[in-house]
Amino acid sequence: MLTFIARRLLFLPVVLIGVTLLIFVAMSFLSPYQLVSTYIKSPEELKNQSLDDLVRKYGLDQPVHIRYMNWMKNLLKGDLGYSVSANMPVTEAIAKRFPATLELALFATIPVVMGGIWLGTISAKHYNKPLDHFSRVFAIVGWSLPDFVFGLILLMLFYGVLGWFPPGRLSMWADSIVLTGDFVRYTGLNTIDALLNKRLDIFWDAVRHLIAPVITLAYLWWAYLLRITRSSMLEVMNKDYVRTARAKGLTERVVMNRHVRRNALIPVATVSGSMVLGLLGGVVIVETVFDYKGIGLLTATGAQQLDYTLVLGTTLFYGLLLVLINLVVDVLYAIIDPRVRLE
Amino acid sequence: MLDVKDLRKYFPITKGLFRRTVGYVKAVERVSFQVRKGETLGVVGESGCGKTTMGLSIMHLIQPTEGSIRLNVDGNWQDVNTQTIRRLRDKMQIVFQDPYSSLDPRMRIRDIVAEPLQAHGMKNRRERYERVEALLEAVGLGAHHMNRFPHEFSGGQRQRIGIARALALNPSLVVCDEPVSALDVSVQAQVLNLLDDLQEQFGLTYLFIAHDLSVVQHISDRVAVMYLGRIVEMGDVDSLFVTPKHPYTEALLSAIPDPDPDIVREKIVLQGDVPNPANPPAGCHFHPRCRYAQERCRTEIPDLKDINGQGHLVACHYAKELDLTGISRAETA
Repeated sequence: MLTFIARRLLFLPVVLIGVTLLIFVAMSFLSPYQLVSTYIKSPEELKNQSLDDLVRKYGLDQPVHIRYMNWMKNLLKGDLGYSVSANMPVTEAIAKRFPATLELALFATIPVVMGGIWLGTISAKHYNKPLDHFSRVFAIVGWSLPDFVFGLILLMLFYGVLGWFPPGRLSMWADSIVLTGDFVRYTGLNTIDALLNKRLDIFWDAVRHLIAPVITLAYLWWAYLLRITRSSMLEVMNKDYVRTARAKGLTERVVMNRHVRRNALIPVATVSGSMVLGLLGGVVIVETVFDYKGIGLLTATGAQQLDYTLVLGTTLFYGLLLVLINLVVDVLYAIIDPRVRLE
Repeated sequence: MLDVKDLRKYFPITKGLFRRTVGYVKAVERVSFQVRKGETLGVVGESGCGKTTMGLSIMHLIQPTEGSIRLNVDGNWQDVNTQTIRRLRDKMQIVFQDPYSSLDPRMRIRDIVAEPLQAHGMKNRRERYERVEALLEAVGLGAHHMNRFPHEFSGGQRQRIGIARALALNPSLVVCDEPVSALDVSVQAQVLNLLDDLQEQFGLTYLFIAHDLSVVQHISDRVAVMYLGRIVEMGDVDSLFVTPKHPYTEALLSAIPDPDPDIVREKIVLQGDVPNPANPPAGCHFHPRCRYAQERCRTEIPDLKDINGQGHLVACHYAKELDLTGISRAETA
């Protein structure tokens, strides 16, 4: 197992260089004058300088490979340029906004994975019975409903009509407490920080703001995981080794949990990689709908204002994040399916 | 040892939006037989004749539609049904046809073989693994195979694992569902010999399902021939192979390839295909393909009857009149 992870880690730099190359290629479609903006660290630099000077200063008139090396040097220093739309360096903006997105994604992933697999199992166990039909309809609706539509419906219903789940990350009063020095920001995740600061009222306020975006994000992927788990379970249930398990005299519960579900989870683990990818993409839309100040909303605002620096920076960040997530999924995969480990 | 009476298994055929049942495939129809302690009863027949369905129904791995199955446990006859089957699984076990798909790919060999032990109350893990080691040695594998996964083994080795798993609980009856049909001929012989040895060593009783007549002849004491879900002939292996009484058995026997090129034997090629089991022909199910068929065969279903008082049972109206050719005595030796 450890050698598997180690070997997988050895591969990581290669993938990372690939990601940076791709983004660099995307960057080189911009003219040097547009690109200058991605190199500027603060607005002060623009004083008493002509654009041509800046182009020369940052080596944007140099050949491609030198430009790439320069860009990489800055990248390794954690310098992604200055974002006009966020009015701060890109790295700082990402560092500030990422906890919010992480919080949203965590709260969405856990119910998605648990709920999706659970519903899929139930659906498969009750194959072609009312419960199965019901969950299939539930899945088809979730799968066909675009998240921006579903999000708006939730917002209208639970905020506009009922007033239960407001948009944003925190209410005003909670926000003002969080920003004071008394409230220690351990992680940047509101819910966890609130618990660590023993402020249950703030915790509840943060949860209230999370419910609607989490449901929006989760529903689509619930539906997806439910369908994958269900069909995979049904396939495994007809496998000969499940019959063998019954012949051993195991109880039906053991047969289902130990033999059917574990084997059925292999394709589920495979798709969960693309699921996380979809979740991160969905975050952009969901955060915009619910005015939830995370990386998604940051990117969306940046794109609207043609803030190249920010968009390239967050894209790079997304890319690196995905590489890491895929690593985790691969390791998970090896845990579930021992055959992967040995090869 | 095992007493099966009037076993039936019907699979419903459903149609349309609301899955109305429009008919039944009678996969196993009124099958009765006994298996004596220590013997091997071979069951042969074409693909689709219900052999495997019968084996799985006896093991209650599929729910039989009707009929009684009784197992003799230490001198007492016990009903095998949905309630008792889990308890009786340590008395009757099954070796499956396909060794490639019947082992959980995610489990180590030691766990595959040890799982039934755990399920039947052997709590101590060390004890279980010791037993697994002994079992693997009994089937010609070794302790060093215990930590491996199924995909690391060849077909023959996997079948040995399947056999070790079946024997783990010390059963008295083992249903072998075409245990060698997925294997190479050279490996078939090894596995058959292994089954022979194990039978002697552990005093096992086999219900041996196969479609290969030479395999059945090699391993069986008695043989039952199935056609379209029914047993059409049953008897001692020698008397059935040398003096078959059912035209279907005769046709099957004539198809056994002969290693001696000088012997020219008449091959009986059956006309037509096996009829649809959802809609079997009236009368004797075999009559459309039988070269001796007469008027009576088209209307009346023959019973399975003992024709010579020596346990040779045949389901044919003309069993006594017909003079059928089997294989020569020399070949049985």
